[in-house]
Amino acid sequence: MNGDDLMPDISTMIRDTARKLLEEKKVDLVIGFEKGTLPLRSTPCFIRNSKEAEKLVWNASCENNLARYLRKRQEKIGIVAKGCDVRSIVELIKEKQLTREQVFIIGIPCNGMVDRKKIDLKLNGREILEAEEKDATLILKGYNFTETLDKEEFLHDSCRTCKYRNPVIYDVLIGNKVAENEGTDEYEEIRQFEAKSADERWQFFTEEFSQCIRCYACRNACPLCYCQECFVDNSQPQWIGKTTNLSDTLIFHVVRALHAAGRCVDCGACDRACPMGIDIRKLTRKVQMDVKQLFHYEAGISVDDIPPLATFNLDDPQEFIK
Amino acid sequence: MKEMKIAKNDLVSFLDTLITEYEVFAPVKKDSSVVFQEIYSGSEALLDYSNSQKPPKEMFFPQKERLFSYDLSPKKAGIEEPLLAEKQRIIFGIRPCDARSFVLLDRVFSGGVYKDIYYIDKRKKTLVIALGCNRPKSTCFCTSLGGGPFSQEGSDLLLIDIGQEYVVQVITDKGEELIKKHKEFMEADEQSLFSMRKVVDTAEASIKFRVDVWKVKEKLDGMFDDPFWDLVSEKCLGCSACTYLCPTCHCFDVVDEVIGQRGERIRIWDSCAFPNFTLQTSGFNPRPTIKERVRQRIMHKFKYFVDNYGVAACVGCGRCIRECPVNLDIRAVLNSILER
Amino acid sequence: MQDLDKKADEWEPKIIAFLCNWCSYAGADLAGVSRIQYPPTIRVIRVPCSGRINPLFILRCLQSGADGVLVSGCHPGDCHYTSGNYVARRKFAILNNLLEYLGIEKGRVHFAWVSASEGGKFAELIKEVTEEVRVLGPARRLVKSEWR
Repeated sequence: MNGDDLMPDISTMIRDTARKLLEEKKVDLVIGFEKGTLPLRSTPCFIRNSKEAEKLVWNASCENNLARYLRKRQEKIGIVAKGCDVRSIVELIKEKQLTREQVFIIGIPCNGMVDRKKIDLKLNGREILEAEEKDATLILKGYNFTETLDKEEFLHDSCRTCKYRNPVIYDVLIGNKVAENEGTDEYEEIRQFEAKSADERWQFFTEEFSQCIRCYACRNACPLCYCQECFVDNSQPQWIGKTTNLSDTLIFHVVRALHAAGRCVDCGACDRACPMGIDIRKLTRKVQMDVKQLFHYEAGISVDDIPPLATFNLDDPQEFIK
Repeated sequence: MKEMKIAKNDLVSFLDTLITEYEVFAPVKKDSSVVFQEIYSGSEALLDYSNSQKPPKEMFFPQKERLFSYDLSPKKAGIEEPLLAEKQRIIFGIRPCDARSFVLLDRVFSGGVYKDIYYIDKRKKTLVIALGCNRPKSTCFCTSLGGGPFSQEGSDLLLIDIGQEYVVQVITDKGEELIKKHKEFMEADEQSLFSMRKVVDTAEASIKFRVDVWKVKEKLDGMFDDPFWDLVSEKCLGCSACTYLCPTCHCFDVVDEVIGQRGERIRIWDSCAFPNFTLQTSGFNPRPTIKERVRQRIMHKFKYFVDNYGVAACVGCGRCIRECPVNLDIRAVLNSILER
Repeated sequence: MQDLDKKADEWEPKIIAFLCNWCSYAGADLAGVSRIQYPPTIRVIRVPCSGRINPLFILRCLQSGADGVLVSGCHPGDCHYTSGNYVARRKFAILNNLLEYLGIEKGRVHFAWVSASEGGKFAELIKEVTEEVRVLGPARRLVKSEWR
């Protein structure tokens, strides 16, 4: 963001918290965000020295899920985490990728992050040279233009359907809790899509995923994709080919969605990381919706929940079984 | 070489004529981004754009290329030779940075002992018409790498937008032959050339980020064991967005895909960012963590390639800067290297 | 697997059937021993338990050109390994829904519970599945050789 970040109170509180944690040696490392090198960007930052706490910022471009960096860590870590990030942390703790004691959660109630791709579409390719967040607007300046946009309209889709804006667990909460998005059906888009014909849906997926260049940014950005060897790299047997053959690409995305079943918290990191702008969540959210409807389970709410695919009920739905 | 010019209004008809004889590839709008694809009418070409999402290296080095196929079934036993390009092609409207990347890729694919017939065949049969950048993006830093918004390297013709017309710099004989065949071109007059020089100066001056890549190379010579790499690689996700979108990245894998009695040998893009890139059959991996892989990428582009070919493997197009999901900015990395 | 040389009217569905060793495979065996006729469209792969089924097995079948896939195990409560089919049931529910959502025709992938004594049911099952697949025609959607 241009100059200072949006909410000086929140940024200041984060800096103070981080500084104190490091000075008092309560943590070895703090993971947060610092100013990015482009307008409307922030970038993950790793702080080990209390003096560096000055770098930390908080604004509507802090879109990455920092829980991604909590894997295979031995240190005690303080982490700046918004609602969705915290739910990923809950899942990681459930799966024993880290212990609750290892992580000091600096929880941030979040009103949503801004989607650069939506903004690029609106600006029709004009480059943003300066960006300022002012209350509920974004003031964007470029060569021969200034545009003021309503921030709400340009939030990531995953932020608009988010029902857990306030961290479900935390060690310290920065700022006041925000109003939750109650009342809306977060899966309305999926239901509408389901109502289309199989041919229409196939058409959509083949077109959308034909853009995929198999860079695996989606997989690598996901906090819960941490397999030592991803199934795409298996060679005995080789499950899918490595080329961009659409059959292989579709199966990659379908299987990744299945592997995240009951674990995906819809943080949107995959969608945000994709350099080709593919709507990955159209697939992953269907799985999430089914897990909720069939097994009455939501990922990332409590570390005591049992993962739905690791357990069963005697009367689980089976009308589809002959 | 002399300068010609063509009126903007004549450009579409020029392209239409080209389309009758060649396969013409041009930038085309697709949602909020720009892609290079074959056009079937001159009006499809988009000329008011900054740069495409995917680099045009695909024209010569496709992401997936069948090297040959075989069939062992009784009726058809045999090997099918590689498919070489049939028609002559024209790449129209690419940026000078991308055109320059072809020169760098030439060093790899056709400059050494082993000549890559798949790449060379396409190169021979393609004419490059570049479009200079009147307004480079804030992420462009081509001038630091030996290029520029109006660099001629890698193009046969270079178009420079001066308002109602394009000045056309004729760079190669191939380009000159093409011009001669088309009546839309006329010699550029003094006024056009004056406008051209103004446009060029303004554009070059507008590129704010400058870095001395030779100094970077000197620093890198002694930095292999520097703890710097642990810090700079910590946020890297290890995806391959930067490598796939980079016009000069050229690593590839060769895979065999077999179904029953038929098979194909296919060359595909690969990336040094992937952990398995250097995994050896013994199980040993010389680049086991992201730190080694990030170090490798930077050292390859700004030191090893310089050691081997005398030039950095980067054209300053800025795609990696814009697309990196975590904003790992190569400009910041280069500056940090200079500060070591 | 696709016989591209065969004419369209000669096409017969090719269905891969994953049968759990203790119930469904035994049921299929009983059908055979009892000389109950059913269409010769299935290619059987015996697995220890329906819980062994990795969704990738089913997807690989579709990718290789199988016109249909059948997965059959013990009835809930009768699993030889106690709970394998219960765990599988949840996996199958998610997979089945996702494949249909993707646009794979309903009728390509089937799931069933067949016990060791249900030789008749097994034969009926194969007749039913074969007809559902026959109506859909040869598989094309996820078949690898359809895409380049």
